[in-house]
Amino acid sequence: MAAQPKRLAYEFPSYLHDPPGIWGWLTTVDHKRVAVLYAVTALLMMGIGGLEAMLVRGQLLVANNHFLSAGMYNEMFTMHGTTMIFLVVMPLELGFFANFMIPLQIGARDVAFPRLNALSFWVALAGTIFLHLGLMRGLGMLPDAGWFGYANLTERMYTPGVNVDCWDIGLLILGTSTLLSSLNFFVTIVNMRAPGMTFMRMPMFMWAMLITTILVLLAFPALTVGLIFLFADRFLNTHFYVVSAGGTPILWQHLFWIFGHPEVYIMALPAFGIASEILPVFSRKPLFGYPMMAYSIVLIAFLSYGVWGHHMFATGMGPIADSTFAITSMLIAIPTGIKVFSWIATVWGGRLRFTTAMLFALGFVIEFTIGGLSGIMHASAPVDLQQTDTYIVIAHFHYVLFGGMMMSILAGFYYWWPKVSGRMLNEKLGKLHFWMTIWAFNATFFPMHFLGTLGMPRRIYTYAPNMGWDFWNFFISINAFILGFSFLIFFINIVWTSLRGEAAPADPWDGRTLEWSVASPPPAFNFVTIPTVVSRDAFWVRKYGGATAHGIAPAIAGGAAAGVAMPPAVGHAEEEHHIHMPAPSLYPVLFAIGLFMAGVGCLVWTRLIIMGGGLLGISIIGMVFEYPTFGKYNPEMIEESTIGVDHRKMGMWAFLGSECVFFATLISTYMVYKDRNLSGPDAMILNIPLTSFSTFILLTSSLLMVLALAAVQRNDRKWSVFWLCGTIFFGVIFLGGQAFEFTDFVLHGLKLQTNLFGQCFFTLVGFHGIHVLIGVVWLTVLMIATARGKIGKDRSLAIEIGGLYWHFVDIVWIIIFTLIYLMRTVKHA
Amino acid sequence: MSEQALHQDHLGAHPDGSPDEGHPGPGIYIVIALILGVMTAMEISVFYVQSLQSVLVPILIILAMAKFALVAMFYMHLHYDHRVFSVLFVFPLLLAVLVVMSLLLIFAHIATVMSFTIPIWPGH
Repeated sequence: MAAQPKRLAYEFPSYLHDPPGIWGWLTTVDHKRVAVLYAVTALLMMGIGGLEAMLVRGQLLVANNHFLSAGMYNEMFTMHGTTMIFLVVMPLELGFFANFMIPLQIGARDVAFPRLNALSFWVALAGTIFLHLGLMRGLGMLPDAGWFGYANLTERMYTPGVNVDCWDIGLLILGTSTLLSSLNFFVTIVNMRAPGMTFMRMPMFMWAMLITTILVLLAFPALTVGLIFLFADRFLNTHFYVVSAGGTPILWQHLFWIFGHPEVYIMALPAFGIASEILPVFSRKPLFGYPMMAYSIVLIAFLSYGVWGHHMFATGMGPIADSTFAITSMLIAIPTGIKVFSWIATVWGGRLRFTTAMLFALGFVIEFTIGGLSGIMHASAPVDLQQTDTYIVIAHFHYVLFGGMMMSILAGFYYWWPKVSGRMLNEKLGKLHFWMTIWAFNATFFPMHFLGTLGMPRRIYTYAPNMGWDFWNFFISINAFILGFSFLIFFINIVWTSLRGEAAPADPWDGRTLEWSVASPPPAFNFVTIPTVVSRDAFWVRKYGGATAHGIAPAIAGGAAAGVAMPPAVGHAEEEHHIHMPAPSLYPVLFAIGLFMAGVGCLVWTRLIIMGGGLLGISIIGMVFEYPTFGKYNPEMIEESTIGVDHRKMGMWAFLGSECVFFATLISTYMVYKDRNLSGPDAMILNIPLTSFSTFILLTSSLLMVLALAAVQRNDRKWSVFWLCGTIFFGVIFLGGQAFEFTDFVLHGLKLQTNLFGQCFFTLVGFHGIHVLIGVVWLTVLMIATARGKIGKDRSLAIEIGGLYWHFVDIVWIIIFTLIYLMRTVKHA
Repeated sequence: MSEQALHQDHLGAHPDGSPDEGHPGPGIYIVIALILGVMTAMEISVFYVQSLQSVLVPILIILAMAKFALVAMFYMHLHYDHRVFSVLFVFPLLLAVLVVMSLLLIFAHIATVMSFTIPIWPGH
């Protein structure tokens, strides 16, 4: 361990105590505090998810067991999967590690949108609680249709309770949080890197997070659409997934896995990134093959969009689709193999230090490789048909999810926890944790390959004693309990060392990246002076000079202590005085409460929807206007940004990119379903003259919008208000036309529930209408602010960003008008 | 409007290098609006002309793509702004098109190969 450098003594309070008190934590927008909030919540959920796994294994301990009922077993495995994926792995990777490390590793003071960051956490917490609402007395039970929620098991007729409602709405809320986080991190990494930190100088964890955020932005909309259809089926009596009404459960599987397989890499890429940080530090060598490692991440992410069908070989997609998905799935092994070999080459010939973090990182490489190899078997359609729905699949994905992601997460904990808490974790307890985990994990999940080969299916709550499965189930369950116990050691280690642990120096591991250049724990503003980066492994180069940047470390570790100049980790009080950090805000909490109330309102009391919606509106407007630079053109910020563009504009474009996938999913569903009508009106009911008029209206509104922007940029308040009023007016006319059209359809016998055409049409066009409505409200707020002199030339960015949204709504309508209206007689599928 | 006039209009609107630097002025916006209006009129006309029904789909798709591109390039300023915005929009757009095409192909195949009778939903 490197000795404590003299200059890194505390001169500023750490972020943990600045500002103090519960109110400080409740209203915090500091990325580090938000990260800690995520960590606490996720660790709690890890305990709950682990307990659920113990109950599942307890039930399977012996044959013919009735420790749990069949229903409760379904609840336990459903919530175990949902909890571990959405409430543990993702919050730890995206919420905790990414939140804490992104600004520190790229040399920034915070994320691009600190309020949005806090909002993401509180919304995630709301979603977490919502998923568990079924535990409340009177509401029945927990979700029980599997983490994949296969239709039509999730339909009201098969699962009448509120448990699947909680699952559906809870995931919608969590998805919103994840999307907002990803948007934030994407802009932060692209646009807030320290001077000199080019893409090819970024730490590998930053590469992993950059690509992960892109995956989230482009994969989650498909899940959102699938969940919206499920919501409509359960609450509005539509039949998106009901075969007897012409729908198909296969649609859900496509939508779910279009999200679901990128989701695997949303969880895997950060794990790759964490390991890629740890292995070089404890091998005292630079990461082998950095460019190929970065390109591999990009290639894995790209390919991950084209492999969703390998989860559906058994559904009968046909030989062409099966072959395509098999090939793309096998192709992913190439960039993944590059990564595995690069990790091995990084460690090879290094002077290894077997700390707990290093042990877990090495464990990750080995176990993930085993999981990856069994994944290649599943990529082969004929082989997969034999293995699907057996315990081999459970073995495979636990080797990937636990052996891969969880091992890496634990490595990350032991590596970065000193930076987070200012306390070292106990290494002896850590190593005990590691060895127990590595034994119990393999003893739990490797025999599942045997069980699967012996034909034991997934998701059965008990089994007969004469199947030949008894021994391995007993063996697996005992080792699963040992695995659970090993986590108890981990939790004790965290709690104990947080209270009485050894104080952590700034650079306990002789690190290579910028986070080790600041105090442990860091001050609220991270860096007194934003560092300038001249090379990859920026901190290493600062410590040892460029000569050793890409070579083996000096014989004596702890260059900082040896007198090498340290970066400006701390400074003086007058320097802190000039650093402006974002002010705390209560609105993110209010927003999350509003969203939660609206969700609960769907279940029990519809008035809560209105109350929750009101709170949402208030908190959004409050957040926008409390922001001191609302809509303000900020040349300094643009000049300081990495690529010279405004964060807010980049964020809006990234959001619109995500919206493309959202509408594409809605449009494809319409095109697949529109000709599967069993009865009632079809597309010939569409009113072309009316919608032609509406199209002209919306196009005209886009013209008025850009004229408003041009006027405000000229500082011409009168004309900017005039054109904004015109845009709003035309928007309202468009909405009026849509209301007339919908009413006319209802009068002619086409309702949302009438047939597949009706439900797809109303959903697609309705969602577009909701977007127009949001745009009208948004522009009205901007118009009032402009009229009151709050928005002038200096804040014209507010109008420009609102305009981008409005024009996007316009171009979506251009597509809808063509594909849905003018091509109404064309058969698509 | 001549190219020179368009250029002048472009530059003239923002002499001080303010946030709108590089954005076109009202003249170009109005020209684009006229083009969009004409193209929409063409779309609607094509829809009603019986003799064009066999080529309806390609014509409508080309016109829609052109309108889409005009709004994105000029009203949303992709033509003038930083190239990163174009990447942020076009890549997801292509992915979205791929998703639509893939789903249509898969479901078309299922519809072709697997013909089965679907029971009528009660009440319809």
